[in-house]
Amino acid sequence: MAVSQGNKIVVDARGIACPGPITEVVKAYRNARNGDIIEVHATDPGFEPDIKAWIQRTGNQLVELRKDSDKIVAVIKVTAKK
Amino acid sequence: MANNKKRVVIIGGGAGGVVLANRLPKDEFDITIIDKQPYNYFLPWLLYIAFKGSRKPIKREIRSVLKPWVNFIQSGANVVNLQDRYVELESGKRLEYDYVVIATGASVDYSRVPGLDKVTEKFGNYHSNEDNAWRVWQTLNKMREGTLAVILAPGAYRCPPSPLEGVFLAEEFFRRRGLRDRVRIVFATFYPRPYPAEPMNELIEPLLKERGIDYVTFYTLDRIDPEKGVAYSMEGEELKFDSAIVIPPHVGVGIKYVPGDVLDSDGFVQADKFTNRVKGFDDAFVIGDASALPVAKTGVTAHLQAGVVAKILQGEDARNTGRTNCPFDVGYGLGTFVISDFYNPTIKYPINRINHLFKVAFAATYWDMLLYPELWDPVFESYFEATEPARIRHLYG
Repeated sequence: MAVSQGNKIVVDARGIACPGPITEVVKAYRNARNGDIIEVHATDPGFEPDIKAWIQRTGNQLVELRKDSDKIVAVIKVTAKK
Repeated sequence: MANNKKRVVIIGGGAGGVVLANRLPKDEFDITIIDKQPYNYFLPWLLYIAFKGSRKPIKREIRSVLKPWVNFIQSGANVVNLQDRYVELESGKRLEYDYVVIATGASVDYSRVPGLDKVTEKFGNYHSNEDNAWRVWQTLNKMREGTLAVILAPGAYRCPPSPLEGVFLAEEFFRRRGLRDRVRIVFATFYPRPYPAEPMNELIEPLLKERGIDYVTFYTLDRIDPEKGVAYSMEGEELKFDSAIVIPPHVGVGIKYVPGDVLDSDGFVQADKFTNRVKGFDDAFVIGDASALPVAKTGVTAHLQAGVVAKILQGEDARNTGRTNCPFDVGYGLGTFVISDFYNPTIKYPINRINHLFKVAFAATYWDMLLYPELWDPVFESYFEATEPARIRHLYG
């Protein structure tokens, strides 16, 4: 589920198995504009390689990717929307 | 005794709603199904209309697949008021309940992708209705050369394997017609790999390569122009096509809920994944495609969830396991199943002929299975036990 906070969209994809988190990212990306920040919280271990590949493929910017004790957090800056 | 019966209102006469209604004992429950149209559809068969021109009927009257004691009202629902415990019908009449089960299925929303309505009108799809599936069949039969694009639009959709099933069946179609070397087939998906779950993809991606099918990943469809024959992605890619079949974004069916915040932004109903209880309510459940749960939108899911809800309504402490069992046709009479649950990732279940036969056999028994759960449940339970992910993952990984 995505929640907008100004130009930041927080996506809670915890507890969702692959490919759910990347689906949630794409849904948020659809509604985002260049300059927006998408912050994704996920627990599925497959999310880390998937989000890296997504960044590489789409040309958006990965501001931060960190592993907390109970989740993976990816912060993405939307820069590549045409 | 009759006065002590609990009133259960089930909204939707698809697989989930009917399975649930027929499982509830008549001496404990007064059961009513409402549906805005009189038919129960076997939607998986849209695939075979679209890619094989099958004329097998895919609908049957809901009344004919219900136990005699289940009430059926043909009507849409205007409002589901969870706070005051009633369902308002189109006529304005209110049905009060002790339990409500939302089993409305999903709808498709062409407006989310500019141009998609026109593309669908021109080339069809196999995720909505019979007319559109027949359009796909006409599209294939008209093509003699060029590029056929099958594009998965971003968002939820029914039946995880079906986009690729269509791709494989299209490839078989053109090869059997002797046109394969003149028709390029390309599959575009917003996922990182052709099949989203990695273990299954390890079977599917090599098969796409072997059959000469092109694919584009991380392709987020933004808009599509049927006149120019170009699909544009948010990543700035242009995919040129002569014919395009797009799997449309699926959304909730548009019923008003009170409170409104039980719906997510796509109109699906939020619920607990183990019990299917609607968020915040003990007496309301959602099963099948209508839910916002992160589980596959398939008939099998609806069927299994209906079984769990039937037990909960009878006082049992039942819980979903998240089991999937999606038949996956890869053409030429071959198939596999997408098998997983909440505790085990997708199994790399081998492709063979038997799996395809299971899929066809299931289709032949579908309505019988709905009407006579007492006969078919033991068969399915044996099957699910034999193919339990925790049991077979050691065999197939």
